[in-house]
Amino acid sequence: MSSRSVRPMMSSDLCEARRRALGLYRAIYRYIPYVIKYYDIPKNIDQCRWMLRSYFYKHAYITDVRVIDMLIIKGYIELKELTHQWQSKHHVIRHWNPSIEPKCTSFIAKFIEGN
Amino acid sequence: MLRQPLCRALALSSPARAVPLASRSYSNPVPAEPEKVEVFINDKPVYVAPGTTVLQAAAQVGVEIPRFCYHERLAVAGNCRMCLVEVERSPKPVAACAMPVMKGMRVKTDSDLTRKAREGVMEFLLVNHPLDCPICDQGGECDLQDQSMAFGSDRSRFTDVHFSGKRAVEDKDIGPLIKTIMTRCIHCTRCIRFASEVAGVDDFGTTGRGTDMQVGTYVEKMLLSELSGNVIDLCPVGALTSKPYSFAARPWETRRIDSVDVLDPLGSNIVVTTRTNEVLRILPRTNEEINEEWLSDKSRFACDGLKRQRLVTPMMTDSRGNLMPVDWEDAIVAAARALRDCPPNKLLAVAGDMADAESLVALKDLVNRLGSENTCTEQYFPLDGAGIDLRSSYLCNTKIANVEDADFVLLIGTNVRFEAPLLNARIRKAYVHKDTDVALIGPKVDLTYDYMHVGDSASVVKISPRGPEGSALLAYTQELACKLQDKLQDKEWKVLNVLQRTASQVAALDLGYQPGVGKALQDGPKVVYLLGADSGVVSRDQLPKDAFVIYQGHHGDAGAAMADVVLPGAAYTEKRATFVNAEGRAQQTLVAVAPPGMAREDWKIIRALSEVIGERLPYDNLDEVRDRLSEISPALVAYGDVQENNYFAQARALAQSLQKPVSGKLDVQLKHLEDFFMTDTISRASPTMAKCIQAVLKQKDSPY
Amino acid sequence: MSIVKILGLDKVASFFNIIRQNGGIRGSLYKLYRQDELKDGTLVGEDKFGNKYFENPRYFYGRNRWVEYSDNYNMNYDGSQVPAEWFGWLHYKSDLPPHKDPARPNYPWMAEFTENLSGTTGQYTPYTTTRPKVEPWVPERKSTV
Repeated sequence: MSSRSVRPMMSSDLCEARRRALGLYRAIYRYIPYVIKYYDIPKNIDQCRWMLRSYFYKHAYITDVRVIDMLIIKGYIELKELTHQWQSKHHVIRHWNPSIEPKCTSFIAKFIEGN
Repeated sequence: MLRQPLCRALALSSPARAVPLASRSYSNPVPAEPEKVEVFINDKPVYVAPGTTVLQAAAQVGVEIPRFCYHERLAVAGNCRMCLVEVERSPKPVAACAMPVMKGMRVKTDSDLTRKAREGVMEFLLVNHPLDCPICDQGGECDLQDQSMAFGSDRSRFTDVHFSGKRAVEDKDIGPLIKTIMTRCIHCTRCIRFASEVAGVDDFGTTGRGTDMQVGTYVEKMLLSELSGNVIDLCPVGALTSKPYSFAARPWETRRIDSVDVLDPLGSNIVVTTRTNEVLRILPRTNEEINEEWLSDKSRFACDGLKRQRLVTPMMTDSRGNLMPVDWEDAIVAAARALRDCPPNKLLAVAGDMADAESLVALKDLVNRLGSENTCTEQYFPLDGAGIDLRSSYLCNTKIANVEDADFVLLIGTNVRFEAPLLNARIRKAYVHKDTDVALIGPKVDLTYDYMHVGDSASVVKISPRGPEGSALLAYTQELACKLQDKLQDKEWKVLNVLQRTASQVAALDLGYQPGVGKALQDGPKVVYLLGADSGVVSRDQLPKDAFVIYQGHHGDAGAAMADVVLPGAAYTEKRATFVNAEGRAQQTLVAVAPPGMAREDWKIIRALSEVIGERLPYDNLDEVRDRLSEISPALVAYGDVQENNYFAQARALAQSLQKPVSGKLDVQLKHLEDFFMTDTISRASPTMAKCIQAVLKQKDSPY
Repeated sequence: MSIVKILGLDKVASFFNIIRQNGGIRGSLYKLYRQDELKDGTLVGEDKFGNKYFENPRYFYGRNRWVEYSDNYNMNYDGSQVPAEWFGWLHYKSDLPPHKDPARPNYPWMAEFTENLSGTTGQYTPYTTTRPKVEPWVPERKSTV
């Protein structure tokens, strides 16, 4: 397994990255009630908090600091778009994917559905 | 110029030669390589064997000289004059396709003289060529268009339009397959040479000379050859085009997918041309070892049978016995229930003509898991003696390409012309170029070359491995082959060849299917699974009254009509599948169009069935199926390679006991051209093939 | 200017006229409930569905000519129920109603008039008019019992 030394993107070690991630979490957590109010989405506050939690847990296994930095930056972009009302109701509700049908995974389901 | 030897042309000696067979010398040892000659093409030196033409020498360097009449597989004509190049110290430009090289020749292909010659020739060709490009089918793939853009001049000096104008010629009628617009003909004579050399029907010729020269059959006659469609590929302009494909599409808007043809056992390589998910036409791909660059008419024109009589929905019989369309779930559940409740030895699986190796292996695995060993193919083959255990006893062991090196060919009980047209073309090539002798045991049919007709009673031999005497015939043939093999000088040469008649037979025999359904039907099966089995070998009245028939295939024919559950599968242009040809070469077809309606790929249907039954097959995608195929035989996934076969002596030893005297006449099923066109389910559904049969029958009534 | 006009008594007279023409108080209230307006006018004609067409030049352009839909529609009246021959007169394309206009075409191939069927079961849904690319196999019917 080869390793190479690279320049850090934002954080220099995992501690700093962890601090940034938690800061992002807190920022979004505190804005959630306003999201519900301004975007008029049919979700309650616990569901929104759980969705935020699930997004953070999805990337819980990552150890590369630069990847964590990149995800944090993307999270802040999301937050900025939310706070400035650059997104709309439909962008926000897509996090719950109400109209995407789950893909079939079993052979039989795929067979019945199409070639 | 390669001409037939004079004695044969004048029929001076009868085909049954005066010289007895025993004293003939067989294949001569390979002569030593002649010393190569140095030639300079555009100041680039190249070493070529003496006797090659300037055009071939230039092709070795990479310089492409334009031509119309020259074709690598036909005799040299040299009448189009487009290949004129300048040779130093020669007063006139020479025709590169006909001029053999000499030592030290300096050829210039881009000098002023060459260019002027090409422009001049092109100008002359275009003077009498009609302005048909917008309505001509060959537009976009026309040699004349390409070469006039590359080598012609930019302006024309033709001013005679207002006086005598351009030449016009009547169209000729040579059948329902080839559309002739003879005004466009540039008299390259490729079609004439092809018809007389490769196809063997000497019908084309030229009439008149000069401006009034016309290429045709002089009297209105259909081109009665099973290779007639190749003339369409050969014609460099739009004079001979495909009638079913006329005005259909332009070449730049089509997609071309490589594939393999399954309507005859040779597996000729084809290119499937599609647009908007329908197959427009099928063209041959060059494969030196199987079909060179020819393709038989049935493979070429039966593609419109892929759009008719298709199975597009799963069907089940309702309470009255009529087949009604149903959902996939219902059909699969019904089929699975019948398969699961069937006692093990009462389950029969029959594989048809065009079943691919993946679905064959899936079906065999399923049937074996359900406890039955009754997997059969429709075509019979004798199982006694070595049977199908030794691969050499059911394959064409001399490969198709090596047939043209044979000195003597003995055909037993087969009409190669209609069963494998391209193999016949090879034998004819050997007959024309190498003076091969051919003998036939069987009914007297018209192969396109002379042969010795030894008789048609089976006792003459000591192949039609058809019927109960087939095993004795095969035993005798093996004996004969082994005796001949011992006499040969070339130890690598294989004598015995068995020509299977369908594309699926070899793969099925490789996988362990029993050939022939006779024995299995005697046991009275309860559930019969037909995998595309339409040739009528299995019929409803041979089965017990309460038999449950499941048919999986792509066309609605005899098999689907007698079925209780119909599962629609994909035809050969719609799936990625493996087919093994008569010499044992595995090839794959690729997906050109999507299967119509609710049809699915064949092996996937069997895999879904297996899951519903409960005996899930261990493969989920094509790679895993192919891994399973390679487990059984690695030759099945070695695409493009053919294995050398041996164990002839052992096979003959096993067959010694079967050499009983045989009587009766050997007969072939396909005797005349009209039998050739509709032999399997796709060609039976094709209206073009129906028109061909009618035209052939009409031609038989005409006096020419 | 007469005294009637100054005091606006002619408006009162026309109000009673309207009530009388529309079938009295009961009729007027029903018309008001159904059509949201009450007008008086001369009956110009009636079409074969029962719609009545009225004209009164005293109203301004746009409200001169109107249609009262036939009673069998009840509350489901709709502008598309006006047939073609009256449409021109109603929309001021011509001043002649159909029974007085000699230039109206009448061909044997003219279809029956239908109202707009959107939202009902008789609505138009597009369908393919091309030939299908693949002809499916039609199995033989073994029995019709």
